[in-house]
Amino acid sequence: MIPWRTLLPIAAAIVLTGIGLLSGSYAVTVLGFAFIYTIFCTGLNFFMGYTGQASFGQSAFAAIGGYGSAILCADYGWGPLPALIVTMVISGIAALLVGYPTLRLRGHYLAMATFALGLIVYEISIEWTSLTQGYMGYSGVPPLSLLGYELGTVEQQLVALLVLALFGIFISNRLRQSRFGRALAAIAGSEAAARALGIDIARCKLIAFVIAALYASAAGSLFAHFVGFISPEVFGVTMVVQSFAMLYLGGIGTTWGPMIGAIIVSILPEALRGLQEMQDIAYTAILIFILIFAPRGLAGLSSLFARGKSRKLEEA
Amino acid sequence: MPNAIEFTQSIVNGISVGLIYGLVGIGFCVIYNASGIVNFAQGVFVMLGGMVCQALLTSLGIPLILAVVLTIPLVALSGLLMEVAIVRPMMNRGATLFAIILATLAAQIMVERITLLTLGDRPRTYEEFTSGGPLKLGDVAIGYQLFWILGCGALLVLALWLFFTRTRSGRALRACSQNREAAQLLGIPVARMMLLAFGLSAALGAIAGILVTPTQYTAYNVGTPFGVNGFIAAIIGGFGRAGGALAGGLLLGVLQALAIVVLGAGFKNVAALSVLLLVLLLFPNGIFAGFGPNAKAH
Repeated sequence: MIPWRTLLPIAAAIVLTGIGLLSGSYAVTVLGFAFIYTIFCTGLNFFMGYTGQASFGQSAFAAIGGYGSAILCADYGWGPLPALIVTMVISGIAALLVGYPTLRLRGHYLAMATFALGLIVYEISIEWTSLTQGYMGYSGVPPLSLLGYELGTVEQQLVALLVLALFGIFISNRLRQSRFGRALAAIAGSEAAARALGIDIARCKLIAFVIAALYASAAGSLFAHFVGFISPEVFGVTMVVQSFAMLYLGGIGTTWGPMIGAIIVSILPEALRGLQEMQDIAYTAILIFILIFAPRGLAGLSSLFARGKSRKLEEA
Repeated sequence: MPNAIEFTQSIVNGISVGLIYGLVGIGFCVIYNASGIVNFAQGVFVMLGGMVCQALLTSLGIPLILAVVLTIPLVALSGLLMEVAIVRPMMNRGATLFAIILATLAAQIMVERITLLTLGDRPRTYEEFTSGGPLKLGDVAIGYQLFWILGCGALLVLALWLFFTRTRSGRALRACSQNREAAQLLGIPVARMMLLAFGLSAALGAIAGILVTPTQYTAYNVGTPFGVNGFIAAIIGGFGRAGGALAGGLLLGVLQALAIVVLGAGFKNVAALSVLLLVLLLFPNGIFAGFGPNAKAH
């Protein structure tokens, strides 16, 4: 029996998708971005929320995924699915190589080192014009396809993105409840205590980092297919801050927080018309407000109503 | 293959921009020492310094000296605002370190966007402080602005040194950096010291921005590179030491200038960021650690 706390968010996401499908292609596009960001934030949540670390450079892996998929599909005629998987493997290996030395750092140094990683990849995506076409961006990326069947319309792609986002959350949740996931929770609680329990801290952090990178890479690839065009600006500092706004708004360290945050932050600027050019100011204002007044986010508010149950869920 | 003249020229350029990095790096140290926080929005003050000064010069047509005198307190005010509106409430609520870092990063984007909306995205610059030049030494050209940067930089370092060693406020700030609780017990108003640190740090950034703008250009988005490079300077110098940050800035500026000669202009930031990662991983206490009497591990 699946508990209602799991069924309710799934049902809400499906209903929302249905409303989106009925209200035209613009709403579909907005929701599509929300689900792509859900995948990105779910990975970030795994590393930050569950493991208690920080990465300000996840955009680097999204860039690898996005550019990798774009180049493989547009120039080499690969199918979207193999390209997605291959770029995820590349991102995973990159995360492994980069994370091994970097994750020994703590606090400010970890924050700045990961931030630098994001900036390095951003600069490279601008300067390595023979590969990435620089500021011009990369266009002509084909839409998603599954088993030779191309998802030509945005509506079909939206449904696929919904399924993928839910699948991503499912995997993340299963991992969290595994022995490995409990080890991560122990690290987040106290590194010294976790070490005393015999947990290999460096290895666990590294694996969590790689998992987050895989999610980021997949989100980058999906973005490239959904929009059909990518440029360096997509994977800039704004992406980092926007994803953090989603994560903290939805509730960091919770299962559904990333999706709730991604949907709200994506829809909000659309709901408040005339705010278009103020979009980034709105994100940052929301983020700062949340960080000061409700650091546990909206998902944290539910514990006010169902104290006993949610406590149990968080400790699981 | 680049020749000796190109190398000398790039080192001269590197010194001037390196001094600016050093000033930004000192700004990082001042806030870090007073509060234990790394302000990711440090580069914004450099951007604001250049942009506000340029806007005052062109829109009001006032003389440079007046524009400078107005710009510095205005930018310092933005630093105070950041402390009061963002950092203080978060510290009072016991926010985590990463949350505070994130909030300062968000503040940076917000200030950048507001600047973009009010002043536009056109790159701006203004005349060097002294017209004429550049000074020719053989085939090496040295712009007069370099002497302004060198002179003001030296004066600022001297002034900071006097402030930190001779004045009550400066000593109180140093006491806060050593042990905030003990400083509080001694009757030092720690909260006010943090406010002072943010104002001072913002003013330093503004001066750096005003000085550097004539040698290049300024736009709403120049803050991040200056901030990151200033941070790298501070890290090279062993975080928290002002003198180290200045030396680190010079080293980074020269390295970056050489990287431009060897690798091409596009990859200067990649080179600087790679230096950051190397220093973080190999010399986490700064490359001058061990030389100083009180080298401490972070």
